[in-house]
Amino acid sequence: MFAVRNCRSFITFTNLKVTTRNPGLWQRSLSIQQYENPAGNNDMPIKMENPYKEPPKTCILCGVTVDYKNIQLLSQFVSPHTGRIYGRHITGLCGKKQKEVSKAIKRAHHMGFMSVTLKEPAFLKDPNVCDIKYPE
Amino acid sequence: MPRYELALILKTMQRLETAAALRRTVETLMGKGAVVRSLENIGEKTLPYKISKHNLRHTRGGYFLVDFSASPTIIPSMLDHLERDIDVIRPTILKKLAQKTQEECPGLVPPDHEGKSFSKRK
Repeated sequence: MFAVRNCRSFITFTNLKVTTRNPGLWQRSLSIQQYENPAGNNDMPIKMENPYKEPPKTCILCGVTVDYKNIQLLSQFVSPHTGRIYGRHITGLCGKKQKEVSKAIKRAHHMGFMSVTLKEPAFLKDPNVCDIKYPE
Repeated sequence: MPRYELALILKTMQRLETAAALRRTVETLMGKGAVVRSLENIGEKTLPYKISKHNLRHTRGGYFLVDFSASPTIIPSMLDHLERDIDVIRPTILKKLAQKTQEECPGLVPPDHEGKSFSKRK
């Protein structure tokens, strides 16, 4: 503190003619300079990643292998009335998984594993994962 | 390395006849130089839709899965042989892909509209 006062007084005395416009600003900037890199000051925040960062949003099939044999899983993305495959805006799946499911369903249809025009009656009571809204 | 998977649907027959049909299929595969890794029985189920094959209308079928490694040259001849077998309702040969690590899924990424505002084509 002793050293600061000395510096300030010295500089203001010599630059009286030059800094008549904003003397307050010059003194304030000086004080900031003094505290920017203080030796041994441990009060500064430690640089780290945001600890409150939320985990990335995932779709329901993230980390689940989609197989043409697993018709129960595939039937969850199919209409119970017509057997049609639901679109991305209804299933809420990410691009990759939607494509995988769609391909697996078509494969299962062709290979004789899954029905085309209807949903297996045994799978009708399965939990609903799609956001289907029927018109009133 | 498992390279192909044969999803076989056989006609509902007596245990002995089913065993004979499977034996025939596997022996043909081995005769053509394939290495059969495993043979799984998924069970006898009602078919999802009625299938007409070899002048017969089938409602039920036995589902079998054959994992094998083979040279790709034998696949068309193998399919032809299976199509001609009267006990087989529907044969399908698929490539078995190496299982990718599922942890690479990036999750739902919000669509990047800024990057596409200017077309790179002249």
